[in-house]
Amino acid sequence: MSDQPKPFAVDIKQLKSRPKDTSPAAIQSVDRAGEQHGFVARDATARRGRPPSPRTGQVHAKVLPHIADEIAAEATRRGVTQGILIEEAWALYLTHKSGK
Amino acid sequence: MPVVVIASPKGGSGKSTSAVLLGTELAHAGAQVTMLDCDPNRSLSLWGERRALPPRMTLLADVTESDIVKAIQKHDADGGIVIVDLEGVASRLVSRAISQADLVLTPMRATTLDATIGARTLALIGEEEEALGRSIRHAVVFTMTRGIESKQHRGIEASLGGQGVDIVQPALMERAAFSALFEFGGDLRSMPAQGRMEEAIKNASAFAQAIYQRLTEAAQ
Ligand SMILES: Nc1ncnc2c1ncn2[C@@H]1O[C@H](COP(=O)(O)OP(=O)(O)O)[C@@H](O)[C@H]1O
Ligand SMILES: [Mg+2]
Repeated sequence: MSDQPKPFAVDIKQLKSRPKDTSPAAIQSVDRAGEQHGFVARDATARRGRPPSPRTGQVHAKVLPHIADEIAAEATRRGVTQGILIEEAWALYLTHKSGK
Repeated sequence: MPVVVIASPKGGSGKSTSAVLLGTELAHAGAQVTMLDCDPNRSLSLWGERRALPPRMTLLADVTESDIVKAIQKHDADGGIVIVDLEGVASRLVSRAISQADLVLTPMRATTLDATIGARTLALIGEEEEALGRSIRHAVVFTMTRGIESKQHRGIEASLGGQGVDIVQPALMERAAFSALFEFGGDLRSMPAQGRMEEAIKNASAFAQAIYQRLTEAAQ
């Protein structure tokens, strides 16, 4: 026997691991348990994408870049939001469609 | 293979440092180690980018709330020890990671504030044990301790001990080499000497050995 401590070596056969429940039901109950202690959802996914417009509460549609540029320039020239131009365009579209 | 989740909602309590010390020392001792970086501040990833990872280590970055359970399950199955580093917040990601743990390790500085906030993890674990119908092993390690223990330290240690909390010995001392890990990457053995290097290595190795010991004990 030597009184030198043995160098630390990991014997993986000695490692113990237990099965973990990964079922949606288990995760749901874990989420609920966490919420009771203030461990709540903070993932960025909830905030991803464009925030709704404060004027209308809606997310605006995407258009091709050159049209977006023209709409932006026209809105700036008139001092209105881009949504107002689209509302006007929609009114024209409805008028056109009804054949008046 | 065992999963060690490092959790405390207190920022700056020494989670990432403990994670790197544990991972590098276990790998040095011959284990395959997978590190999961679940902190959006990416402390582990920054460590991993400083220098090539030591042998037997892999690092998975940007693990989120929606993929944590799958990520742990996948690496649990592939024969290495899994170490999960979390952000210092109370989040659903933290509670999900804890549900998949063989051991939850809560690093805390020996201050009343750290101990109070760290105790939230203990309460959460209790709640999860009830929800899952299984026990989840838990231990506290004091970090950034000084050679001479403060009265506050002894008080907190006695109070946690009295509540039956498992306290890892040795504590992780405050050491220049430990904070330099994030400057140089790699492990204590690959970095240029910082302070009393031999003492630092001895401390880190004994800490990893104390955790290893817990991972060899059957779950209750
Ligand atoms: N034992 C230690 N000795 C010296 N510095 C430490 C020690 N533990 C942590 N630190 C330093 O304290 C700061 C916070 O530690 P860190 O591990 O990032 O905490 P957390 O991950 O809990 O936010 C870092 O700057 C780190 O380098
Ligand atoms: Mg951290």
